[in-house]
Amino acid sequence: MKKKVVAATLLGAAMAMTVASVSFAGDKLTLVLRGGSYADSMQPAIDQFAKDNDVEIEVLPLEFDDLHSKIALDAANKEGAYDLCMVDGSWMAEFTQNNVLANLSELGYSFDDDIIPATTAICKNGDDIYLAPYFGNVTVLLYNKQLVEDAGYKPEDIDSFADLKDIAQKTHDAGKNGFLIRGGSGDNIVSDFIPHLLAYGGWVVDDNNQPTVDTDEFKAAFTEYQDLFALGDTMDKDDIVAAIDNGDAALAIGWPGWYVPTEDSNGGYIPIPTKATDDGEEYKTSMYGTWTIGIPANSTHKDLALKLLEYVMSPEVQLASVENGGVPCRYSCLQNEDVLAKYPQYEAVCKALENGVYRPVISQWAQFTEILGTEMDGVLQGGDMNDGLASAQEQLTELMSE
Amino acid sequence: MASTQRKKTAAHGFALKMITPTVVILAVLTLYPLIFTLIYSFTNYNYLQGADRAKFIALDNYVKILKNNYFRRAMWNTIRFTVLAVFFEMLFGLLLAIFIKSLRWGQKIMRTLVLLPYLLPAVTVALSFRMMLSQNYGIVNQVLTAMHLPVYNWFMDKHTAFNSILLIDIWQNVPFVFLLLYASMLSIPKDQYEAAMVDGAGWIRQHFYVTIPNLGPSLALCAMLRVIDTFRLFEKVNILTGGGPAGTTSTITQFLYNNGIKSLKFGYGSAGAIIMTILVLIFSSIYVKKAVS
Repeated sequence: MKKKVVAATLLGAAMAMTVASVSFAGDKLTLVLRGGSYADSMQPAIDQFAKDNDVEIEVLPLEFDDLHSKIALDAANKEGAYDLCMVDGSWMAEFTQNNVLANLSELGYSFDDDIIPATTAICKNGDDIYLAPYFGNVTVLLYNKQLVEDAGYKPEDIDSFADLKDIAQKTHDAGKNGFLIRGGSGDNIVSDFIPHLLAYGGWVVDDNNQPTVDTDEFKAAFTEYQDLFALGDTMDKDDIVAAIDNGDAALAIGWPGWYVPTEDSNGGYIPIPTKATDDGEEYKTSMYGTWTIGIPANSTHKDLALKLLEYVMSPEVQLASVENGGVPCRYSCLQNEDVLAKYPQYEAVCKALENGVYRPVISQWAQFTEILGTEMDGVLQGGDMNDGLASAQEQLTELMSE
Repeated sequence: MASTQRKKTAAHGFALKMITPTVVILAVLTLYPLIFTLIYSFTNYNYLQGADRAKFIALDNYVKILKNNYFRRAMWNTIRFTVLAVFFEMLFGLLLAIFIKSLRWGQKIMRTLVLLPYLLPAVTVALSFRMMLSQNYGIVNQVLTAMHLPVYNWFMDKHTAFNSILLIDIWQNVPFVFLLLYASMLSIPKDQYEAAMVDGAGWIRQHFYVTIPNLGPSLALCAMLRVIDTFRLFEKVNILTGGGPAGTTSTITQFLYNNGIKSLKFGYGSAGAIIMTILVLIFSSIYVKKAVS
């Protein structure tokens, strides 16, 4: 019996040593990531990992819709083309329902205490982890320092949407754009509007995921949104960033991934005000757009992909990503004194990441925003608000009943 | 007699053998996808859920898509865009061809210069115009401002977005029409012009009674090709407006992308694709008839 125990122990030890010394040399990983600052912030870490492990890594940086399609289309293959993918939180429901992603908990991955807990909620299905929060994208208030000062405000004094309107009005009176709203696709418009809706205590769906877009709260928020639009203009994201930075506009809702200001920049960002009026009720108003990373269920290199995932999620690598425009979801990075000295806006990002709101976890979200955004755009372009929202409500109810 | 018949049969058999590979390749590359699109259009096929879970739902997709206000608007936008774009492309292409052919020197350089826009990928053109017409740093608005003229939010205002994309499309595709018509013009016998001159026809009458009648089949072919291509307009709309503002620039392909491809509802998207194919066939058949006649 003793001999058997000793033999089993030796066998176990030998196996453990074999696993520990597994070499991935010569293997190739294919990563499909969101293009722009999201992929750029990861690139140095990827290069270092490839060098350290003697592996080849191919990176495919893609646009939002293209990334979604590529991951989904590849999911049907028995052996997937991708080993690590970037996933938007709004795709989580659709992907988990259809077994697109590997269960990271089963692969041995777990979160540490340094990761902001609220950012991990979208990464789990039950207790199982499917994704890791890589890039802490969350809506923030972009502002031009000079124009806000000219309006008689300090950034820290802006604590309600009434303040935003006041600044926008004064800037508009001075011949500049007071507030910019984001135009383009339905998803852009809805994402841009949601913080306003949250400040008025509204939401786009109820507890049963039925649409709630024809409500008093929605109409109040939308009226305020239209008022702000009248004091500014509608632009795409590149123009919004340029306008804020060059002093053509005072305020806009934006994302950290769009713009990385330094202490000396003309623009900056702060948390979105949490109440509609100075004496109004406070709500969570920042919306998460966190870019997470996961491993496709059909990846043929799961072990190596997990090793890479753990590497890019490590505190050291996340801290280093800040210099490349990264926005970590870690306290150790966002509260780092050196980081804050150079990029003071990370304090705002940290607060927003602690108190954000996720988009509804529904598989119809892409169509939901398309319908709602188109109707809202129609109203912004001169249509009747009651008709537009009633039409949106009717179509969304039909969509959610499918 | 029997020998002649045998020869004919052998020749017929040989011809069949020769065209069989082409027919097979065409069937695989063209008919197969078309048939599958048609079959999927009668199902609720969702790509992520898999084809094995797709159910036959008869005409539900067609009913649903034709009742959809956004699709109807996209269809109307597409037809309006196609009619306007093809008309102006044909008109400017023809005028350009006549103008360049009338040049005594510099024809070759002009031909090359005029062709340049057509050589650019649609994505590059869209991105270039997005920069030029940017409300913030675009050169067009800066020039207008310098001239004290009103500036516009070209792609975000419902009054200008459609026409902006239309102009860009015309700018890019006039060279195609020019090239086809110019090549066709070179084959018109000179003596027809000389005869017209002897009869006292001026410059306008020469082109009206000699050039245009000679270009008839080329004009029809050109129009048909442009209709087919314009009906599939996607990149410019997707990059510049995403179908907005308020759906004023949405096209059928943009609708299918948003509602079929992005949401992976391939059954629904297939129904839209079949409707679009039928519309293109109807439109292009007018020109085919003209070309054949």
